[in-house]
Amino acid sequence: MTVQWWCSARGVPWRWSWQAYPGVWLMVLALAAAYARWTRPLADGEARDAATSAARRTGGWIAVVLVWASLDWPGGPLGAGYLASVHALQFLLLAMFAPPLLLRGLDSGRIHALFERNGLAARVISAVTQPLLAMLTFTVIMLATHAPGAVDVLMRTQAGAFLLDMAWLASGLVFWWPIVIDVPVRKHFGPPMRILYLFGGTQAHLYLSMWLLLAEFPAYGIYELSPRVTALSAMEDQQIAGGLLLLIGGTYVLAVISVLFFRWFAEPQAEG
Amino acid sequence: MRAVSALARRADRAPRADYLSLVTHLYRFNRRNAVSLAVVIAAAALLAGCGLSGETGGRALRGVKLAQAIPRPDFTLTDTHGQPFDFRAKTDDTVTLLFFGYLNCPDVCPVHMTNIATVMHGLPYDVTGHVRVVFITTDPARDTPEKLQAWLTNFDPSFIGLRGTPEQVKQIETAVKVAPAEPGQPDSSGAYEVGHAAQVIAFTRDDSAHIVYPFGTRQADWAHDLPLLVKVQ
Repeated sequence: MTVQWWCSARGVPWRWSWQAYPGVWLMVLALAAAYARWTRPLADGEARDAATSAARRTGGWIAVVLVWASLDWPGGPLGAGYLASVHALQFLLLAMFAPPLLLRGLDSGRIHALFERNGLAARVISAVTQPLLAMLTFTVIMLATHAPGAVDVLMRTQAGAFLLDMAWLASGLVFWWPIVIDVPVRKHFGPPMRILYLFGGTQAHLYLSMWLLLAEFPAYGIYELSPRVTALSAMEDQQIAGGLLLLIGGTYVLAVISVLFFRWFAEPQAEG
Repeated sequence: MRAVSALARRADRAPRADYLSLVTHLYRFNRRNAVSLAVVIAAAALLAGCGLSGETGGRALRGVKLAQAIPRPDFTLTDTHGQPFDFRAKTDDTVTLLFFGYLNCPDVCPVHMTNIATVMHGLPYDVTGHVRVVFITTDPARDTPEKLQAWLTNFDPSFIGLRGTPEQVKQIETAVKVAPAEPGQPDSSGAYEVGHAAQVIAFTRDDSAHIVYPFGTRQADWAHDLPLLVKVQ
C-alpha cells in the first residue's frame, strides 16, 4: 500500500484498492474542528430559532462530508489523475455546493461578534468578500485552475493538487459569503444585486462547460494520457465533465437565483 | 528491470521533454543499447521540435525529429491471419506508423493506439488513405493472432498486427534503432510486464523515418502532424 498525503496524478494504472491520504484527513479534521467552533453559539448570544439553526448546522456538516468525499479515495485520486468528469464533480462539490452550506451553518452571533470587534480577521473578510472583488476572484480562480497548463502542472504534484483543491474551496467561500451572510452590511447589495452577482460570477462556469463540451481534442494531458479506468475515451470523459458542469452547476445556480428572486418577490407582501 | 512502459508513465509532458526523459530511462533500462540510445539522445537534444519544414509547407512537426533518418526496414513477419506480411512492400508509398508493444501493456500501448485511432477517425480519407499503423507484438507468447486482431480492431480495423519470434522482433528493433523489448520477471500469478520502446516511428513516403512520437504525444499533435507527414514525398 502506497501512502500519499494528498491525491495527485501518478500516471500508474488505476486499481480499486483503498489508499490512505493522511493529508486529506488532517484537512477535513481541521475543517470540522473549525466548523464545530463556529457553529457553537456564544454564551451570551441572542436566542435563536432552534429548528432553523439545527437544519443549517446539519447542512454544514453535510458539506464537511462532501468535502471529505470529494478529496479522499476513490474520488480524490480519480479526479486528480484519471477522469476529468470526477474532477468536474470535485469542483462542483468544493466550490459550488459545500461553501454555501458551510456558511449557512455558522452561528450568526459569532459572526456578528467578529465584525463588532472589527479585528484583522473581520477586516480581511470584509475586504475579500466585497462583491465585485469576490466575483472577480472566483472567476479568475475558476478559469486559472481549469487552464490546461495549470491543471497538467499542478495535478502532478501533491502540493500542486492541494493548492488547486484549496483554491476552489477558498474561492467558493469568498464567492458565496455575500449571498449567504449579511455581515458586513452592504446597503446596496440587495436581492436584485445578489441575483446579478450570482449570474455574473458563474458566467465563466458556463463558458468553461461549453468549452469542455465542444473542444475538438482532450484539453488536459493528464486525463488524455492516463491509463483508462473505464471504457470511456478521454474525449467522452471530458464531454461528461462539461455536461456535469453545465447541467448540475447550471441547474443549481438557476435554482439559487430562483430562490433569491422569490424571496425578494415575497418581501413586500411580508411587510404589508 | 521494470518495464519501459512503466518508466514512461511519467513522461507525459511535452513531446520533446518526454522523449528526452524516456530515452534516459531507456538507457538505464538496458545498458547494452547505450550506443544506439546515445545517438537517439543526441538527435533528440539537438533537433527536438524542428520540422521537415521544406516538405510540410514550412509548418513544424510536433514529433521529435531524428538527426539521422532511419530507412524503412525490410522484413517479413506474420499477420493476424497467419499470412506473411512483407513490411516494405505492403507499406510502400504510405506514411507508416510503426510501434512495438504488447496487449497486456497497462498504459503506453493503449494510449498511443487510442490517440492515433481517434485522430484518424476524424481526418479525411485523403490523409488516412495514405496512413498505415503497424503494431508488432513484443509478447508473442501471450499475444495470439486472434487476441491481437481483436485488440487492434477495438481501436481501428485497419490497424495491422504482426507477430514474429523474439529474435526476429529484436532484429527489427535494432534496425529501427529502438531498445529491444525485454520481458520482466513474472509475479506470483505468472503475469509479467514487457519493457519496450514507447515511441511510434513514422516512416514517410520517401521510405525513411525522420521523426518519432514519444509517449506523451497528444491527439492534437497527431491531428496536426499526420496531414503534414502525408505530404512528405
